[in-house]
Amino acid sequence: MKTILELKGLSKFYHGVIALDKVSCSFGEGEIHALIGENGAGKSTLIKSVSGAIQFDEGSIVINGKEFTSMTPDQALDAGVAVIYQEFCLVPSMNVAENIFIGQQVGSKYLADIPQMHQKAQEIFEKLGAKIDTHAMVNTLSTAQQQLVEIAKAVSRNAKVLFMDEPSATLAMQEVQAMFGIMRTLKEQGVTIIYVSHRLDEIFEICDRVTVMRDGKYVSTSDIKDITRQQLINAMVGRQLDSACPPRNAKIGDVALEVKDLMGNGDYNIDLAVHHGEVLGIAGLVGSGRSEFAKVLYGAVPKDGGHIYVEGKEVEINSPSQAIELGIGLIPEDRKTEGILLEYPIDWNISLMILKKLSNHMVINMQAVKETVEKYFKRMRIKAPSTQNLVKSLSGGNQQKVVVAKTLAAETKIIIFDEPTRGIDVGAKQEIYQLMNELVEEGNAIIMISSDMEEVLGMSDRIVVFHEGTVAGELEKKDFSQANVMSLASGL
Amino acid sequence: MKKGFSFNDFLKNNVAWVILALISLIFTFLNPRFLTIRNLTTVLDQNAYLVVAACGIVLIQMSGNLDISIGYQMSIIGVIVGTLLLKTALPVFLICIIGIVIGIAMAVLNCWLAERLKLSWLIVSLATQNIFLGISYLFSGSKTMNGFPQGYLDIGQTYIGKAVPLAVIIAAVCFIIMNFVLSKTYFGRYIYALGGNEEATRLAGINVRLMKYMIAIIAGFFVGLSTLMLTSRMGTAQSGIGPGTEFTVITAVFLGGVSIRGGEGKLSGVLAGVLLLGVLTNGMQLAGIDTYWQSICKGALMIGAIAFDVYQLNRRQKVKKEEIAKMEESALAAEKEKENK
Repeated sequence: MKTILELKGLSKFYHGVIALDKVSCSFGEGEIHALIGENGAGKSTLIKSVSGAIQFDEGSIVINGKEFTSMTPDQALDAGVAVIYQEFCLVPSMNVAENIFIGQQVGSKYLADIPQMHQKAQEIFEKLGAKIDTHAMVNTLSTAQQQLVEIAKAVSRNAKVLFMDEPSATLAMQEVQAMFGIMRTLKEQGVTIIYVSHRLDEIFEICDRVTVMRDGKYVSTSDIKDITRQQLINAMVGRQLDSACPPRNAKIGDVALEVKDLMGNGDYNIDLAVHHGEVLGIAGLVGSGRSEFAKVLYGAVPKDGGHIYVEGKEVEINSPSQAIELGIGLIPEDRKTEGILLEYPIDWNISLMILKKLSNHMVINMQAVKETVEKYFKRMRIKAPSTQNLVKSLSGGNQQKVVVAKTLAAETKIIIFDEPTRGIDVGAKQEIYQLMNELVEEGNAIIMISSDMEEVLGMSDRIVVFHEGTVAGELEKKDFSQANVMSLASGL
Repeated sequence: MKKGFSFNDFLKNNVAWVILALISLIFTFLNPRFLTIRNLTTVLDQNAYLVVAACGIVLIQMSGNLDISIGYQMSIIGVIVGTLLLKTALPVFLICIIGIVIGIAMAVLNCWLAERLKLSWLIVSLATQNIFLGISYLFSGSKTMNGFPQGYLDIGQTYIGKAVPLAVIIAAVCFIIMNFVLSKTYFGRYIYALGGNEEATRLAGINVRLMKYMIAIIAGFFVGLSTLMLTSRMGTAQSGIGPGTEFTVITAVFLGGVSIRGGEGKLSGVLAGVLLLGVLTNGMQLAGIDTYWQSICKGALMIGAIAFDVYQLNRRQKVKKEEIAKMEESALAAEKEKENK
């Protein structure tokens, strides 16, 4: 295999802290090469160095035989390096073709040739084997389609090396398969794809080789067929880890929460129940109405009809505060916008839901707050020097622990985890799973919404599958399989 | 993590006080009359109504909103109270209450419109300020009102113990109460939370809508009180009194370290902001600098305050990366230690 991209002793320092430590590795032409590592392993720094988004401090980059000792975004683009970040760089109010050719000239020197632009865009999509209206506004497209536009943008610039940073994180299962198809097409056309993902199944499915990074250092590169899952995990964390989902010893008791004919927020006819000591998994495609259901149950969005029973009694939930009073807690899907106050210290966040309770005539009892915060700070094993640190200085996994600590501090007994481990690294994932186990062992009930198949199958006692806003079916433990979940989720 | 003394943090928290001290020093050199008890009392007296208004406005800004119709609300309150004082025989006390209630009503109106139309408070107040101004002129007929009863004038013109103006005492009481509310009560904490992340605050079970109305009511109260202090001190009311105040107060709040994005800042900083502007005006008057230059200075100060805020934000984002790297390192080291054991 011909080497297309080679890194020679690449280093990057942030104010004296090493983010990339003499990384040397190479990527072959026309391969799909996985780049994995825990959060903070240096993957993003590597991508940004190669694409010129940041300046590396030492070493060099060789692209297609040409050596660079420094890199600008222009040089990287000219050399054929393109990056698709998790957050897309598209202009929502412009159409597909305009987005693809943004910054490029189609037509004469002064006038853009609009028909030609659309024709060229169309050709690119045909080459990729995808169908998309080039006149459609980007803000009317689904996430998967927007990603396709990003890919087309890269293709239009003759990208030779395409970095994809967690492209599957926001896609539904079917869409991921479609994306894999496009990746294979690109590979046949000789494009090298460097694929960053936390999901190991995907890596085994699509990638040819895999490079592992840890603590800013290069660890290893191997052929995917020569390595096992466990070996990969060990290489990433640098230590033995138990199986992905740790076992638990919980006794399943009475029904904690039951929902009958629940309607609202686009969902209808939702019937389900969760018991004490049980993890009820909710699977489904993105947009199948799972998070919408959670919002209705939590009172964040009003319900249009149906009944909710907590501990056998019918209840009315019209606001989050009522839900919390009934012992229902929500760990929201989008941590940054719904879960935490990024600019505030950890203790403010953990105590947010209980301040009123710990106040005397509106005046906060600082001592009581401090004790509660300390308790949950320790229990969640939040890795921070003190509870005074700002939440935004924490890693994703630790931020998630703060959200969980906040919800637990409110003494909730029925806890909805919406994508509990999205975007957090393997180590923190394990800790969240362990905590969920502890919670159900204590007799709490958990509703876990997840798009991570491994997580759904591994953590749940039962799985309810959503499809287009309602329950498509329920699976008992003996029927757990990826195929069963998938067929229900796709409405088959 | 070491918590040593950081000059930058000190500056961030006390920037208004530092500038205040510097400017006072300069004015003392320019005109020795500046640093006399009498002059300083005058500065406090002149600016007491601004401190009171700021006590309310700061809540709106901390919750991430901006109300630019304050001055026009003051205009309406001023002329209505003035008319009632001159044309009716209602007791002064009752008229004052009516004035405050009108202030509350206008703030609640802004809040209600913003909520119902799902618009920002800024846009709503941009529209309502014109409405308020029009109503004010219709009410006053562009006339100036004079000759208020002594009971009313006392609010702004009494000296306690022949040395301390009553207005300064009112302002001090308002400041102390609001400082307590913001730093020690859960309501205060919720205001910060609201400014930091509204959706997360709502999902934490806090009645965000109620919070906003509470903020409007409190802000309206202080604006009303502030207007009473201003018109009684001046002994006159007309539609032109009030407009413009919003910019002074908003500048002061920014100078005090309240972030443009909301959710940050302290009331003590805002106090320094108000005093800073007051000292600037007073000092320049004593130094014989004309009012247009004063206006230019105020504008420049506001830009400076915002620039400093943005600079701080950028700096913190850089620090963030460092902190993450450090923490992951220390966490890893701790785990390795465990393994070794």
